[in-house]
Amino acid sequence: MTPSVAYGTDIDQRTDTAQQTSTDVLTAPDIPWNLVIWNDPVNLMSYVSYVFQSYFGYSEAKSHKLMMEVHKKGRSIVAHGSKEQVEQHAVAMHGFGLWATVEKAASGNETPGKGGRQRG
Amino acid sequence: MAKAFKYGLKGITGHLEPAERDLLRGLLDDVISMLESDVRENEDPLAALIGLDMDAKKPSDRALLRLLPNVMKDDDAGSLEFRQLTERSVRESKIGALKATALGLDKNDLVLTGEEAARWSMALNDVRLVLAERLDIRDEADADHIHSMQDWSQAEDVESYLALVYNFTTWLQESLVQSMISARQAQS
Repeated sequence: MTPSVAYGTDIDQRTDTAQQTSTDVLTAPDIPWNLVIWNDPVNLMSYVSYVFQSYFGYSEAKSHKLMMEVHKKGRSIVAHGSKEQVEQHAVAMHGFGLWATVEKAASGNETPGKGGRQRG
Repeated sequence: MAKAFKYGLKGITGHLEPAERDLLRGLLDDVISMLESDVRENEDPLAALIGLDMDAKKPSDRALLRLLPNVMKDDDAGSLEFRQLTERSVRESKIGALKATALGLDKNDLVLTGEEAARWSMALNDVRLVLAERLDIRDEADADHIHSMQDWSQAEDVESYLALVYNFTTWLQESLVQSMISARQAQS
């Protein structure tokens, strides 16, 4: 992603303290599909974070954390749900210009709960 | 000179000179025609009505593919099926935002509502995605290289001109998004 001019590079220095309290994490069998956002060198960090806030209704802190995960790890699971739900999210993300894919939630290393739940 | 967008008492405001508005309008029109290019005329009207497009296929143009990406990483058949069901509506929403933004470029002093700002940010993002493909921006190093070109006296060829246009659009979108974030914070 392209760093936000106004924030400068020290945006990376923000830590994740106090941002990891998610009390309503669903368990794996209930969440068969993930919405994945992929990093690209074009989308602004501020824009990606804004989309997470405005579309999913996530807090600023959570949106920032997910955006940084996309930026640093190359991808992040930002929502999960039924196939139909995540596909609907993917259509919206493509509308915003974010590079989104859907995938079956595997029993791999990535825990979908980290990405939180979607609105509605 | 353009002024960065800012959030204040009047809402989200910005300022663009006529030449800058012409430039942006041209860029927006280019993306609109890319997205409209293969909309077929003699298609099944019922299918069109409910948003289906059984002729949709993965775009061969990289820029168009970036605007309309596959929805599954390793499943071309599944992605194609999804494309047939949804691509038309993604195209239409993008075209809608691009056209609304182009129409809004009718005066130098801009005052945007929250909804207008949201459409502008989507439209500017799509413009940047297309320019980035034309500039072959593949990774962060490429992006940094392009970003380092800020001096219009450097515009010697098509590529350096495109790079400067890309940086202008980036700057404009960044100020707009920061204004939208400020507006959001003010409302909460």
